[in-house]
Amino acid sequence: MMLETKQINKYFYEPEKHQVLKNISLQITSGELTAVYGESGSGKSTLLYILSTLDRDFEGRLQILNHEIKELSAAELTNFRNQHIGFVYQFHYLLSEFNVLQNIMLPAMKLGAKTKEEIKHDAILLLKELGMQDVAKRASYKLSGGQQQRVAIARALINNPSLIVADEPTGNLDQKNSDMIFDLLKEVTSKREKAVVIATHNPKIYQNSDKAIEMIDGSIRL
Amino acid sequence: MSKHITAFTIIFIAFQYLRARKKQSLLATLGVTLGVTTFIVMINFMTGVNDFLDDAVFNGSPDMIISAKQNKSSSKQLFKTQINSLTKIDKIDTFLTKQENIQSFAHQIISPAILVSENNQLPGSINGVFPSSEKNMVDLERRLIEGEGFDSLLEKDNAILLGISLARKLQVSTGDHLKMILPNGKNKRLQVAGIFSFGITTIDNVRTYFPARTLQNLLGQHDAITHVHLKLKNRDDVGLKTEASNPMNAVIIEDWKDANKTIVIGNKVRDILTWSVSFALLLVAGFGIYNILNSTVVQKRKDIAVLKTIGYAANDIIFIFLVQSVSIGLLGALFGAGLGYVISYVISTTPLDTTDFIIVDTYPINFKLGYYILGVVFGVATTILSGYFPSKKASSVDPVTVIRGI
Ligand SMILES: Nc1ncnc2c1ncn2[C@@H]1O[C@H](COP(=O)(O)OP(=O)(O)O)[C@@H](O)[C@H]1O
Ligand SMILES: [Mg+2]
Repeated sequence: MMLETKQINKYFYEPEKHQVLKNISLQITSGELTAVYGESGSGKSTLLYILSTLDRDFEGRLQILNHEIKELSAAELTNFRNQHIGFVYQFHYLLSEFNVLQNIMLPAMKLGAKTKEEIKHDAILLLKELGMQDVAKRASYKLSGGQQQRVAIARALINNPSLIVADEPTGNLDQKNSDMIFDLLKEVTSKREKAVVIATHNPKIYQNSDKAIEMIDGSIRL
Repeated sequence: MSKHITAFTIIFIAFQYLRARKKQSLLATLGVTLGVTTFIVMINFMTGVNDFLDDAVFNGSPDMIISAKQNKSSSKQLFKTQINSLTKIDKIDTFLTKQENIQSFAHQIISPAILVSENNQLPGSINGVFPSSEKNMVDLERRLIEGEGFDSLLEKDNAILLGISLARKLQVSTGDHLKMILPNGKNKRLQVAGIFSFGITTIDNVRTYFPARTLQNLLGQHDAITHVHLKLKNRDDVGLKTEASNPMNAVIIEDWKDANKTIVIGNKVRDILTWSVSFALLLVAGFGIYNILNSTVVQKRKDIAVLKTIGYAANDIIFIFLVQSVSIGLLGALFGAGLGYVISYVISTTPLDTTDFIIVDTYPINFKLGYYILGVVFGVATTILSGYFPSKKASSVDPVTVIRGI
């Protein structure tokens, strides 16, 4: 099993203690695109932050690639995330001081498994697949929203992670760009055998995903 | 290799941030430069003056002086023709020879006198010395401006050595003649055998060297000694002073601190000034860096969050910001050291009109490598300190909070 959660409960304490995730148990497999959908405020983002190991302040268990995430030290977790998880946000968040290529290279430069030249080569290959090799040297903030999101996906892929987590990746895009990003993520899932989890409230996406999980008020609807 | 490429990336990110705030980074660098320059120039100058004075005063004057107490009955006399001499000089000598901390000592007979040249006459005093022992007290060869040193006093019984300021006032030079009039009315024709300078007027205005034997004979006080000058092995240990007052009753013992109070205080004041001014400037520079980094951290919270989600550790983030402050610090400090050297050099070659206090051609400036290293270390240390807290703040940014926040 690529990813498995058991009985995850999550509370927030501001303004007062309230439960945001209730008994979440789910499994995610490689080569499958899983969509998490539900109304705004139902807990999709909160769940995704936990699945992507950014938030470890929860009750229950999270296993990814047979690692008990809660048992990793801070340093181990950072490495683990760097190597195995790619994250795509609603607001792409590229670093404006860097050009497109440099942004894509950042996670690999941290991993340090390859030389800079090899990393550059990988990044250019990714850009070619996305049909964006022309903008490699361009400042990232000069791209359109759809282009920026594709660069963000390339950045999430550079270390060849097993799990891609995307929180409303199309939420900020028009229909055309939205379709393009979804197709891209589907392609990543099937061709690269990745496990992809998308939070969305776009029916077109969750109806066309391999697996759809509906969230209602912090619980999974069975 | 893995560490290597990560470090490279971190430094690269740090420099991107610096470049994005060129103006402020430059200003912060200048701040450090100013602090380090000031430190180096001031410490070069202040220690230069201190060392110069130390050298002139402490090598030119004895560490301790033993002299006779004023004799009350004789001081009531209207005209004093007899000078007070040390009575039990043999006892004093035996005591001094036994002391551990004494490097050397020498007898002197000092008498008031009037020196008369062709153009001028000056009241003052004559230092009658025994050249062979005085040689161990004062390195006069190094101070000679013209003529000969102590040896000339051995050759001729009317040879006199003069401090430069005194010689100028009397308008005499080596080979010229002078008349000396003593309190008992005796006078003698002297010949200037050499002129020296210690560099400070308090000595060069009054100091003379004359054969003690001749002076004793003229005064009619054979074997009379008025002062014993001591040179100590450890100048700061003046315990001898209290120890000596018992066996040597009826003498006055004065140490270098008593005799040179103003100079000792002056040195302290200069030290305090140097450190406090440099510290204040570096503090301001440090605050500037703190501000820049702090606002960068606030502005770049999203970037920091992204870096953390894609695998950069808290320590990496700390380094990204520390690298910025250390580069500012190192660059500023190195510039400061260079500029400090240039300014010090210019000051050291600036001709100086002889003041009332020091007699030198140019300002005394120290050029010790250690001060430059110290200045650079201070500059960099300031920036590390001021960069640390913003860096720490950056490393504790919580990515979830930031990503949610939009
Ligand atoms: N930091 C927080 N403190 C308190 N409550 C929070 C915090 N973050 C989210 N919540 C609450 O948790 C619930 C789920 O939010 P979220 O996971 O963002 O939902 P979704 O992504 O499905 O819109 C919401 O009611 C939200 O107000
Ligand atoms: Mg959400």
